Amino acid sequence: MRPIIAGLVFAATLCAQPRVVELPGKSPLVTIRLVFTTGAASEPADKPGAAALTASMLSEGGTKTMTYKQITEALYPMATTIESYSDKEMTTFVGETHVDNLEKFYALMRDAVLHPGWRAEDFTRLRDQQLNALRVSLRGNNDEELGKEALYNAIYKGHPYGHEDLGTVSSLQKMTVADLEAFYKKHFTQANLIIGLAGGYPAGFAERVKKDFAALPGGPADKFELPAPTPLQHNQATIIEKDTRSVAWSIGFPISLKRGDPDFPALLVAQSWLGQHRESGGELYNRMRELRGLNYGDYAYIEYFPRGMFQFQPDPNIARHQQIFQIWIRPVEPPNAVFALRLAMYELDKLVKNGIPAGDFEKTRSFLSKYVNILTKTKSAELGYAIDSKYYGMPEYNEYLKSALAKLTVADVNRAVKKYLHADNVQIIGVAKDAAAIKAAISSAAATPMHYNSPKPQDILDEDKKVEVWPLGLKPEDVTIVPVTSVFE
Amino acid sequence: MRILRSVALCLLASACFLSAADKIFPYPYTQEDLPNGLRLITIPTDYPNIVSVYIVVGAGSRDEVEAGKTGFAHLFEHLMFRGTAEYPPAKYTAVLKSAGAASNAYTSSDLTAFHTTFSKEDLPTILSMEADRFQHLDYSEADFKTESLAVLGEYNKNSASPDYQLYETMRGTAFKVHPYSHTTMGFLKDVQNMPEGYQYSRDFFSHFYRPEYVTIIVAGDVDPKKVRSLIDERWGQWKRGAYKPRIPAEPAQDGPRRAHVDWKMETIPQLAVAWRGPAYSDDSVETAALDAIAHLGYDQNSPLYQKLVVEDQKVEAMEAQAPANLDPELFEVDLHVKDAKDLASVEAQVKAVAQSFVEKPVDAKQLELLKQHLRYEFALGLDNSEAIASTVASYVALRRTPETINRYYDMFSKLTPADIQRVAKKYLIDRNLDVVSLTHDGGAK
Repeated sequence: MRPIIAGLVFAATLCAQPRVVELPGKSPLVTIRLVFTTGAASEPADKPGAAALTASMLSEGGTKTMTYKQITEALYPMATTIESYSDKEMTTFVGETHVDNLEKFYALMRDAVLHPGWRAEDFTRLRDQQLNALRVSLRGNNDEELGKEALYNAIYKGHPYGHEDLGTVSSLQKMTVADLEAFYKKHFTQANLIIGLAGGYPAGFAERVKKDFAALPGGPADKFELPAPTPLQHNQATIIEKDTRSVAWSIGFPISLKRGDPDFPALLVAQSWLGQHRESGGELYNRMRELRGLNYGDYAYIEYFPRGMFQFQPDPNIARHQQIFQIWIRPVEPPNAVFALRLAMYELDKLVKNGIPAGDFEKTRSFLSKYVNILTKTKSAELGYAIDSKYYGMPEYNEYLKSALAKLTVADVNRAVKKYLHADNVQIIGVAKDAAAIKAAISSAAATPMHYNSPKPQDILDEDKKVEVWPLGLKPEDVTIVPVTSVFE
Repeated sequence: MRILRSVALCLLASACFLSAADKIFPYPYTQEDLPNGLRLITIPTDYPNIVSVYIVVGAGSRDEVEAGKTGFAHLFEHLMFRGTAEYPPAKYTAVLKSAGAASNAYTSSDLTAFHTTFSKEDLPTILSMEADRFQHLDYSEADFKTESLAVLGEYNKNSASPDYQLYETMRGTAFKVHPYSHTTMGFLKDVQNMPEGYQYSRDFFSHFYRPEYVTIIVAGDVDPKKVRSLIDERWGQWKRGAYKPRIPAEPAQDGPRRAHVDWKMETIPQLAVAWRGPAYSDDSVETAALDAIAHLGYDQNSPLYQKLVVEDQKVEAMEAQAPANLDPELFEVDLHVKDAKDLASVEAQVKAVAQSFVEKPVDAKQLELLKQHLRYEFALGLDNSEAIASTVASYVALRRTPETINRYYDMFSKLTPADIQRVAKKYLIDRNLDVVSLTHDGGAK
């Protein structure tokens, strides 16, 4: 029986050696997470996309001794895969197996990461895949994710976070296998590795894994010396012009707050109240969708949450030292598009001026205290959160959040709102067909009234009168139109 | 302690995972029918603290048989959040919020499911509140019209994806009479006309939101006796209905069909190759045999995938889906083809693989590896109470009992190469073929 301290066992951390996070148990399933604290923010300036493509070469390419086909065949009877994803500061490999198959599976996963094959044919296939993910899946097929990613790139322009994790079309076209090998040698080091293990693995397994990964190069861990993103002096908008049925909006600005900081739980309460992801309880959802039928949903965030239309809970291991505040407005019918943007800005302004109502504080705090159990409902997620906590240098997330929330007051929340949020100096991204008309409407003081198909209560109609002329603070020169084909080029 | 308590049942479960002789669904459960026809399935899982409730209504887009009224099953998924006298929307939301619940709903061809996952102490509140909305939903015409706009917003969101357009076109190509001819969203013109359908929506509720159509699945840290008493108390008085939709059967297809979608934006060319197949079955080998073909012929380990995706690199992604619906559905292979000029050759190779199942029996060893793969895959998927409830819900739509999972996998474990060949001969034939392609301007068609 291993000792268990608050559900986690942190191995002693020696300089430049892989760190280990364990969640041992007797479950017949074993999860392995190998998290390298490197990513897009560590890429050379002319090699955007190198971290993600290196990760794919390891997880979906051959090793020195096995082709990708042989690996697929070997994994097949175990019904498992080796998956990878890469963000600004973390590159993650995840595998889950039944304990019966642990030895065979671990050997494959270990060799994938320690002994990549760097074959030209794997490279061509995976580079094409990444190019298509950028050009087709993101730019062509998904207006909302496009808007959200473009928002990050605009806010972090000229900053190590300032390009897409997948890279750019031109950088991927020029990328070579040698570029990836160089990135691997420099950044896939012992010092950058956090090994995560959960489930019913045998005694001695963790020690063995740690010893195996001591074969990685030594050298220092990546240091993310991140400048503060350049603050906007006034609102700015970019409209991505694209032949699409409706208009998607994303708005946001950087915040100097991350998980583990003293004010994080307080701002999390405000964010959850305003727009808890994919739940129907948020203020934006209620005011925009439920009362007015503007669209399918409206949400707010204080941490990066990619792929939000496909999942209800965020993936762990996309930890970042800098975050933005963001509002996601799902596609709106064009006649009401500018009204929707004004309404979101109006609601943000209300939050900043008034804070959250005292009556809603208790409900939101109760929600978050319990919802944290759902965030960590699988062993894999629990392990992912534990690794993130280690990276942020903070206690186990579940307990941290519950105890911080218990001490919180509504005054704390509203103080955090005043300190970190604002309704001016905001970056706005729109994805729209008639970009010129949208530009004209958002940079003009003319009213953009809402069109309803049913009678509305007088208080809503009265509020609409304010919203339809709500100043967006945009002059024509603050609004840029870009064709979709130029984004991520 | 979370870790230690989660262990005991998993160990019990693990004993079942690998032996084909044992039941694949490892959790003991209770299944009870109330006098009004409501069915309750309770599955204690021993994953601590959390409870997941899935309420499955046996009505989906399959039941939309009236012209001009497609999409109403899905609209109803939305309307169910529009409140009652006892729980107006704001109160309903406040209760969910206090419970820290993750709550949502989805609609498919055969079912509408409402699901909530939360901490166990809130079970009485949640079951009571759900009972109220299923029996006493009350929304105004104005609210109805507002909600129909949110549904149009959802259509708009989906329509930005070429995958959705390809799917929608395939529906209309393969089915002419049966409601599987439309997606769960419904036809765009019907979605746009929804605001005028208030009275029809009341009828829809009165037809399908009745106990005999509903199965409640409660999985997690629960005691079945306590759950039953909560259900009796709040759901027992719900009145049974009498409506049965007349769903028209799709006539047999009389030859191959083909359609093409011109996509306005830059996109990777797409191809869907489908054959009209059977309805789901857990007492014949037909569904299992087609599922085996989907894997052996087209999954990541298949020779065709290795050739098209890994070696030749003409295709970026390929997957196949065997039919598992209440009525006869499609066996479909979907592909993203890198260059439109390869569409014809890729299509020919997909068809040649199907033909190979018709012509010769599969390798018995490969079939055994597949059986092992599927048993591990199923076991790996049941890693929390929500996943367990969700898995059961998908089968409940088909046979209203988790036992169908055991029967189906049992059928699979007995599957022989000869069975697969017999089923391939019956369904994977030219007469049943439907092909839809999608390209950006000027792509080969």
